[in-house]
Amino acid sequence: MRHSHFIRRIIATLFIVLICSAGFGIAQARSIESVSFLMAAPFADATQDLVKQFNQEHRGNISLQVVRGPLETEAMSDLAISSLLLGKAPFDGLLMDVTWLPKYAAAGWMQPLEDYFSETDIASLAIGAREGNSYDGHLYRWPMNADMGLLYYRTDLMEQPPETPDQLVQVSQSLQKDKKVDWGYVWQGRQYEGLSCVYLELIDGFGGDWLKTDSNQIGLNSKPGVEAAAWLQGLIDQGVSPRAVTNYGEAEALQSFKVGDAAFMRNWPYAWAELQKSDSAVKGNVGITTMVAKPGHTTATLGSWGLTVLKGSSHVDASIEAIRFLTSETAQKQLFLKYGYSPTQQRVIDDPQLLQDKPILAEFGRALKVATPRPQTALYAQISDVLTRQLSSILTGERTPENGMNVAAANTNQILMSAGEKP
Amino acid sequence: MNRRTLVGLLLLWSLGPLLWQVYTSFCSDQALIQPFVSHDQRWTLIHYQSVLNANPPFWRYLVNSLIVGISSTFLCLLLALPAAYALNRIPRQLSALSRLALVGAALFPYVLLFLALLELARALNLGNQLLALSLPYAALSQPLAILLLNNAFNDLPPELEDAAKLEGLSLFQRFRWIFIPLISPATASTAILVFLFSWNEYPIALTWISDSSKLTLPVAMARIAGSSIYSVPYGAYAAATVLGSIPLVLLVLIFQKPIVSGLTSGAVKG
Amino acid sequence: MIIFLLLPALLLLLVVFVVPLFRYAWLSFHADSVITGLIAIPNGGANWLRLLQDLRYWQDLGQTLRFAGVSVGLELILALCIALLLDQRWRGRDVVRTLALIPWALPTTVMALGWRWIFNTPYGPIDHFTKIAGIGSLNILGDPNFAWIATVWADVWKTTPFAALILLAGLQTIPADLYEALRLEGGNALICLRRITLPLLRPYILLALLFRLAQSFGVFDLIQVLTGGGPASTTESIALYAYWNALRFLDFGYSSTIIMASFVLISLICVIAWIGLQVLIPTHPKSRGVIEL
Repeated sequence: MRHSHFIRRIIATLFIVLICSAGFGIAQARSIESVSFLMAAPFADATQDLVKQFNQEHRGNISLQVVRGPLETEAMSDLAISSLLLGKAPFDGLLMDVTWLPKYAAAGWMQPLEDYFSETDIASLAIGAREGNSYDGHLYRWPMNADMGLLYYRTDLMEQPPETPDQLVQVSQSLQKDKKVDWGYVWQGRQYEGLSCVYLELIDGFGGDWLKTDSNQIGLNSKPGVEAAAWLQGLIDQGVSPRAVTNYGEAEALQSFKVGDAAFMRNWPYAWAELQKSDSAVKGNVGITTMVAKPGHTTATLGSWGLTVLKGSSHVDASIEAIRFLTSETAQKQLFLKYGYSPTQQRVIDDPQLLQDKPILAEFGRALKVATPRPQTALYAQISDVLTRQLSSILTGERTPENGMNVAAANTNQILMSAGEKP
Repeated sequence: MNRRTLVGLLLLWSLGPLLWQVYTSFCSDQALIQPFVSHDQRWTLIHYQSVLNANPPFWRYLVNSLIVGISSTFLCLLLALPAAYALNRIPRQLSALSRLALVGAALFPYVLLFLALLELARALNLGNQLLALSLPYAALSQPLAILLLNNAFNDLPPELEDAAKLEGLSLFQRFRWIFIPLISPATASTAILVFLFSWNEYPIALTWISDSSKLTLPVAMARIAGSSIYSVPYGAYAAATVLGSIPLVLLVLIFQKPIVSGLTSGAVKG
Repeated sequence: MIIFLLLPALLLLLVVFVVPLFRYAWLSFHADSVITGLIAIPNGGANWLRLLQDLRYWQDLGQTLRFAGVSVGLELILALCIALLLDQRWRGRDVVRTLALIPWALPTTVMALGWRWIFNTPYGPIDHFTKIAGIGSLNILGDPNFAWIATVWADVWKTTPFAALILLAGLQTIPADLYEALRLEGGNALICLRRITLPLLRPYILLALLFRLAQSFGVFDLIQVLTGGGPASTTESIALYAYWNALRFLDFGYSSTIIMASFVLISLICVIAWIGLQVLIPTHPKSRGVIEL
């Protein structure tokens, strides 16, 4: 008897709490629209101040919240996808890497944004930043920062950075012979997306093409495609790059370059700010240029992160408001000055005051002009996966460059065919 | 080789990697990269600070895992106890067949279920709910639990139940006053094994939980694997592995008897 | 009445073990991917045809078998040694047994991270050791010849205690007088092992083997965190490939096909391994034939 009395009391209490919280929730929802974006951790940290500003400006109106995701791009993508697959995504928008967009759009997860951004808005973007925001005729993404592959070099070791692949090898070898550095060039050789980025710059730089998405023409086993792979493999064979580069991501390459072990490094713009910190052994001795290439073929892999709104969000207008704020000129300046994130608005890139304070911005701008996106297809994850797999076999000596790139081309073809993209 | 060397080797093999993590977790980043150079700041607590002050803080994952572990264990036992009892009271052939099926299910590499379970979570809206995880966990540990408990029921003398029936005890009363106390050692072993499984499970938690404040420890650990793009953050990893290991090391030290008897009783009965 | 006691457990088991298998079988005959907008469309046997031609799947299967075979084999040998050591009576035995159990209790992902550091090139302890020993840097996780050994190593480390405990339980059922009788006939330790220990341990070895074999075919956590399947996909397992296909490539039809095919193959291999070992391990008049559990 006492037992049931007790249970009844608990149930009653729970009931009251439930009603109260529901009522409270409704009252809250009516007055303030709360919008949440999922971002990779570095961006979530970098935008903290901006979010605070936004919430102050829109007090009582919109409350913006940033959900802090993991730090690695691939882990971030896995997280976003599993949230979306689970059904109700716990956020309204997503800060998205340029390569995810076609897949997400094809899966029907994205809200088209062309009604919210005009032609003039688009024209205000730097040329490289206009790429990779649309799929199938719809605009889905608004770029927040531009990322492009860059070649970092040591200004204390050379007057001029090399421009062609051969020059890079020569400079490295002579520096190594003089015992100035342990290694010539460090880059991303682990089997993951970063390796595709490294390779894209080279296949384009040797005058080839990875995949033409309009005609589905595969260039991996063409002459430039094989040359690019062979060059990377040769770096390891000739001792220009350490053997361990086959397990390097961005962090490992940066670590090696930062302590002064290497003369060159391929990395993204964020590394610049890192190399200027006080614990950097190469502080003040670093220059930036575009990746080495055959004359006239200079490219930089476009990395770029942009904001999107998920289909089914009940706060589209408020989300757009937040996106506009986070990608505004002031916001971009702030992100660049404090965190080194390179801007996407042409006006910011050309800002004379900014250029005077941070001359490095000019280099970012130059690289962004030649930035190329990776193949824009919903099957990108698969085709990049087969590419990195074969490249990794080549780099570790499991396959010859010809053989590996032939297999990569055949696998790519198979993927396109079984998806019905190709007869 | 004498026994002492062998025991030493065994301990080195079992505990060496853990001790290395402990050592790493107290080393400053500089000392990790250049181990043979003397540093003014070799030892540091900074890794622990960064892990504990992260957002969400590390203990949150421990609490989450604890919640999932306890609720799964409870649910699993709630279903397995009656089933294990009933298994002896159905026709002999049917019972043998069920036991065979249970062995098969216990052996099943459950990782392969992830996709179907993900769909289940989506269909029933179970994603991102800690307590919902106990459903698959209870189900996955069910075969082993039923088998272990069934062994325990088998060991009870059959006269016991007859006597209890003559006393006029109902089924529930028999359970409450006779069986539960008598098989409590087996129940404890089963409970701790189920708890360990739920605490350690990875693929399902990975697909069912995406909200970072609801992650269980194993998934959080895997996510920490990408915790910094700026340098190789092995000091912080090590601090996290040490913090994540402590509860389990304690668990093993305290409960080693029921764990061992649980693991071996299945085999002993074979 | 009895049936109501069984029903809840039975229902849960059906939902979690049986329904998925039917679902996979059904999905494997459908195209359900990002290309179809995540809607299942029947596609005949196209998935299965693709699987037959998918060299990557067969390579992954081979790698998974290699991983499972080598790690379970090493595990059993090591476990037998540990069990024999722990079966003897000496001071502090219980403490050592408890300490040796610790690796088994830790979540796989926790120590996978630890192993990533231990095998790290150039800062990990193994790399320091090989450099001092004059072998030079091995680049363990970056070299296809070594990376899979690293995964086996980490797996053996974690799961040996489990196998050792099961074997220890078996050893403790062997009556001591059997050994004494054989020793009186002049048998040495090796003969004892072959004629008494192994035959009487048979059911336990088979149990440990079967359980570990099935589980290691599904290896996932360890590889995902330790190597991510690399380098050159030489450590990728079938579970990982199925996972990539579902969550990264959004191709649920093909992922189901991989899972279904692997399930059938694993069952077959387990049965074969079981029969094979029954023939291989010598029998003893007192040893039981089949595991009844």
